[in-house]
Amino acid sequence: MITAALAESLTQALVVLVLISGAFIVTRKDLLSLVSTYQMQSLLLAGVALSLYSVDQSPTLLYLAGLTLVSKVLLIPYIIKRIQRKINISRDMEFHYVSPIASIFITIILILLVYGAFSNILKELALSNLFYLGAVFGISLTLMGMLITFSRKKVITKIIGYLTMENGVLLFSLFITELPFIIEVLILVDLFMIVLLATILSIGMDSSVEAYQERFHQLHIEDLQEKLHLHRKHRGES
Amino acid sequence: MNIDANYVAYAFLNTAFIILISPLFMGVAKIVKAQAQGRIGPPLLQPYYNLLKLAQKERVYSNKSSAITKITPYINITIMIVASLGIPLAFAPENSGGLGNIILLLYLLAMGRFFMAAAGLDAGSTFGGMGSSREMSISSIIEPITIIVFAALAFTLNTMDMHQMFQTAAQEMSFLNPALILVSIPLFIVLIVETARVPVDNPETHLELTMIHETMLLEYAGRDLALMELSHAIKQTMLMAILINILVPWGYAREFTAPAVIIGMLLFLAKGIILATFIGLTESSMAKMRLFALPNLFIIAFFLSMLTILLEVFR
Repeated sequence: MITAALAESLTQALVVLVLISGAFIVTRKDLLSLVSTYQMQSLLLAGVALSLYSVDQSPTLLYLAGLTLVSKVLLIPYIIKRIQRKINISRDMEFHYVSPIASIFITIILILLVYGAFSNILKELALSNLFYLGAVFGISLTLMGMLITFSRKKVITKIIGYLTMENGVLLFSLFITELPFIIEVLILVDLFMIVLLATILSIGMDSSVEAYQERFHQLHIEDLQEKLHLHRKHRGES
Repeated sequence: MNIDANYVAYAFLNTAFIILISPLFMGVAKIVKAQAQGRIGPPLLQPYYNLLKLAQKERVYSNKSSAITKITPYINITIMIVASLGIPLAFAPENSGGLGNIILLLYLLAMGRFFMAAAGLDAGSTFGGMGSSREMSISSIIEPITIIVFAALAFTLNTMDMHQMFQTAAQEMSFLNPALILVSIPLFIVLIVETARVPVDNPETHLELTMIHETMLLEYAGRDLALMELSHAIKQTMLMAILINILVPWGYAREFTAPAVIIGMLLFLAKGIILATFIGLTESSMAKMRLFALPNLFIIAFFLSMLTILLEVFR
């Protein structure tokens, strides 16, 4: 059986890996590896929840791990990969405001700021160091997600930034508060909504009118319009 | 600094051991690379034959070169041997004699690099100057990062002394310490950069476009070249020893007795061969990076060592 000390260093290692995957997402251009990294990050989060469960024995953690596994490791990446195949873009070359190196520096500054802010608040709560680490890294991951949403231009990268943000919230809540399970479920529903909405956005946003038509054709939306048109014409004649 | 019999014995054994095995690791990395490319590769002991052959040849100097070219090989090998006293490969006496200090180690390495670059410029050839300029611009980026990596190491193991670091790592059996696993990645990157290996420099070529380290050696021949290559090999073994003795310190002799020392040496040799194989594989699985893309590699080391320091703050 896993001892408490082993579980603690395992959790620590997993949390650090989550943050490294966040940094990886901040710097990568290649869209496919962005999604895979997100997938890996969610898997690591499920691992964190499980290793916390081995100490805590609270069933909520187990549910969270299961939910994360089903939704964020399997479903959401699957949907995003489908979108990617449709839009035919494999690299997000547009780092608009900051270069990869600058964004790593900003990330480090963000982590230090979060650490500085939290060291004042959390001292009074007298939490264990592991929970302190989880809280700081969770909020840092949220801010990193925000950084991705700010600094990239392609919608699909922005989605991944948003998803990373949500992962940060999950990491934070795993450590600091007993997050009611129902809230996590609601957040997930929101996530699905945003992924679906973003599908439409990312197909339409960055293209000319001709390309827009073409893509509609790919998605069989044009056929529908044509049918509608014919239908109207028919009614007008009669 | 009080020197006792143990320390003298350690100094002799450690120096002899590092000089003896360093060319072997070079050879292993070469063979692995050749095998990965589908060639047979040189025999395992080829680096030794090369050194012997070079040691018998005469030295040739350009008539434009000054004393710098003549003294640099001796200065370099001296620096490397002195620095290697601070990095016990398989065993260490009780007191480190102050030589294990990591700041001293970093400055010794920087001094060696300074003389290399000066020697590259000395003969006045355009090749040498280009190599020196590249070496210096790369080292100005990697040195702050190396300092942070070693700071993370010192912070994690609570000491500035390399001997004590290895001692602590061997006692803790650090394989479960996430901070040490994390810091080993930047250490590996520093190893690659300092020994001029593939993503940064290509040790095989003498082509103008890619080479950094080799250009500075172009003017050397005979015994001088043998000394320069040997000191390069020693530098590589030193950095490998840091990585090995921090991450996998199994068999590191904690007391100074003959059987423990022999076991430690043999295990170090085995682990070194494995690490050299790994280096060779890394080299053959990567393409050389553009000079201006190198900061992308260095920033990984920087980020990970910052993370290690943070992780240690939470402990």
